[in-house]
Amino acid sequence: MDYFRAVYVADERSPRALALTAEALQFNSGNYTVWHFRRLILESLKIDLHSELGFVERMAAGNSKNYQMWHHRRWVAEKLGPEARNIELDFTKKILSIDAKHYHAWSHRQWVLQALGGWENELNYCTELLEVDIFNNSAWNQRYFVITRSPFLGGLKAMRESEVLYTIEAIEGYPENESSWRYLRGLYKGETASWVNDPQVSSVCLKILRTKTNYVFALSTILDLICSGYQPMEDIRDAIVALKTTDMDKQNNDDDEIGDQQNLNIARSICSILEQVDPIRINYWIWRKSRLLPST
Amino acid sequence: MMNSTEEECCGREKMEKDVHVTFLELMYYLLPSPYESQEINHLTLAYFVISGLDILNSLHSVAKDAVVSWVLSFQAQPGANADLNDGQFYGFHGSRTSQFPPDENGVLIHNNSHLASTYCAVAILKIVGYELSNLDSESIVTSMRNLQQPDGSIWLVLQVYVKIYTPNDMLEWNYFLFLNFLIYVGSFIPIHTGGETDLRFVYCAAAICFMLDNWSGMDKEKAKDFILRCQSYDGGFGLVPGAESHGGATYCAIASLRLMGFIEDNILSSRTAASLIDVPLLLDWILQRQGTDGGFQGRPNKSSDTCYAFWIGAVLRILGGCNFVDNKALRGFLISCQYKYGGFSKSPGEFPDLYHSFYGFTAFSLLEESGLRSLCSELGITENAATGL
Repeated sequence: MDYFRAVYVADERSPRALALTAEALQFNSGNYTVWHFRRLILESLKIDLHSELGFVERMAAGNSKNYQMWHHRRWVAEKLGPEARNIELDFTKKILSIDAKHYHAWSHRQWVLQALGGWENELNYCTELLEVDIFNNSAWNQRYFVITRSPFLGGLKAMRESEVLYTIEAIEGYPENESSWRYLRGLYKGETASWVNDPQVSSVCLKILRTKTNYVFALSTILDLICSGYQPMEDIRDAIVALKTTDMDKQNNDDDEIGDQQNLNIARSICSILEQVDPIRINYWIWRKSRLLPST
Repeated sequence: MMNSTEEECCGREKMEKDVHVTFLELMYYLLPSPYESQEINHLTLAYFVISGLDILNSLHSVAKDAVVSWVLSFQAQPGANADLNDGQFYGFHGSRTSQFPPDENGVLIHNNSHLASTYCAVAILKIVGYELSNLDSESIVTSMRNLQQPDGSIWLVLQVYVKIYTPNDMLEWNYFLFLNFLIYVGSFIPIHTGGETDLRFVYCAAAICFMLDNWSGMDKEKAKDFILRCQSYDGGFGLVPGAESHGGATYCAIASLRLMGFIEDNILSSRTAASLIDVPLLLDWILQRQGTDGGFQGRPNKSSDTCYAFWIGAVLRILGGCNFVDNKALRGFLISCQYKYGGFSKSPGEFPDLYHSFYGFTAFSLLEESGLRSLCSELGITENAATGL
């Protein structure tokens, strides 16, 4: 480090100084002073930045969870411009093949797509990752990123129909998967009425409720729908009542009431069931119940 | 409600405060080491130790004057004729490794002061009771403006310039760069020579301004707009717009909004639907982070990790939803990460590290563990330190 400090203070922009930065980074890859000075040297010496990509890749093999290294990588890619696109997509893909939820890699990949392009195959890539692990929340997030921002896909509204079908299939396969439920809701972002009125949403909830297993997210989705104006029909109401156990409050007999009161009762029932089947969040469901209003 | 009681504290369920104090005291004595440290984040480690000791109500072990001198020695001092708008940030360095002396004219040519170290420095000074009005906060705050990503309108002008003077084949490329840059308007880079920009540094900036009681260092509206763009479709916040929602990023978002005055007290109690952020969606997302093992995860479908007991727990504290957590189960998870010789590990059965230990202590403070001081969630220091009592 003493040698590094000497060339740094002297502002020596030489191959020797460049090598010293590499050495210093071996000891501490988080040293932002060294990374910055390395960039100055690379610029002064007009070093071919393709080899610099190789340098970063070698460093990543040692420890890939390092903000400074990824920032450096981005700086190099920015300098190279569009020609770096495929290299960067390949690089992040490589990292993600080892750790499919690597936050830095995903951030970098999102930056690459926005700055350098390469959107054409991204949705397919997400599908591939989800085939390997349907629970990969990063892949679901990337899917949302692609459908909302890809210049080739037409935006959220245009993609909604096909994505709803895709997501429902994922939910039916693994109804305990939080990622797919959140994604489904996200497809209607900014358009609550569309979400409430789309029969596919309540339909998948009903399907799961009837299986009487892994129905927590189905229940909370119905609850959220009711809070946004949804009025569940008889089949949903029956499916929910069927989940109630004998010790639950059966005083509110749903069939006796109509309209708002009926919706309120069924919402209350949902909360009661969730208090039992999702006990870690019992206080939350009690609070949700207390917040229910007739005009909910 | 699920509060831990004395009965539960006995036996295997005990939070071994004394052992943790010893652990921190050992770290404390190792801090200002005589040899040049390779550690770039020395001040951050010091913050974990000193804030940790304060939370454990054991600050008496700390030589406060010595700590003050040590911390102040990391400050990047502008020379007598320095222009605070020269583009540099005059904050605190993180360690001697990044610190270099001024030249023979007293000019600080090599200024590597960093926003995160500055947050740690100010926090430490506040904890040990240093009178912050003695600090040259003008330099810090005024020069902090140089770190906030500029208004999009400036870049429109630049883009026109670029279009005129750039060869055609690079036009599209520069347009992409420009569009890409717009994403980060309002956010902060940590150091003026350049760096990644994301919610972590928005938080550092907000915390510094709050502690120094001087908001001229940042454009709160632009920062707020950037934060809002970071809320994901699922209610949580990512580090930058489009990024996956994450416990740590969510803390930075909510704590920053709170510090800047955009979130009122007990926001959950109010029935007003209109809010800057989608609170119900956030609340649901946040609460789902508690797993069957009682611990908190940072993202859906990932394993529990001690530190999220703070990142997530603190958000709930700020929103007023602490009671929605199964505190008993959380405590059980934390205890399983407790190391018998002091400290906490990331997950059960691993060795402790200072980072997870500190957040273990903060988590126990949020759980109102007896013997621990209460926490100011949005600053990461005790309430005692925050109010300067």
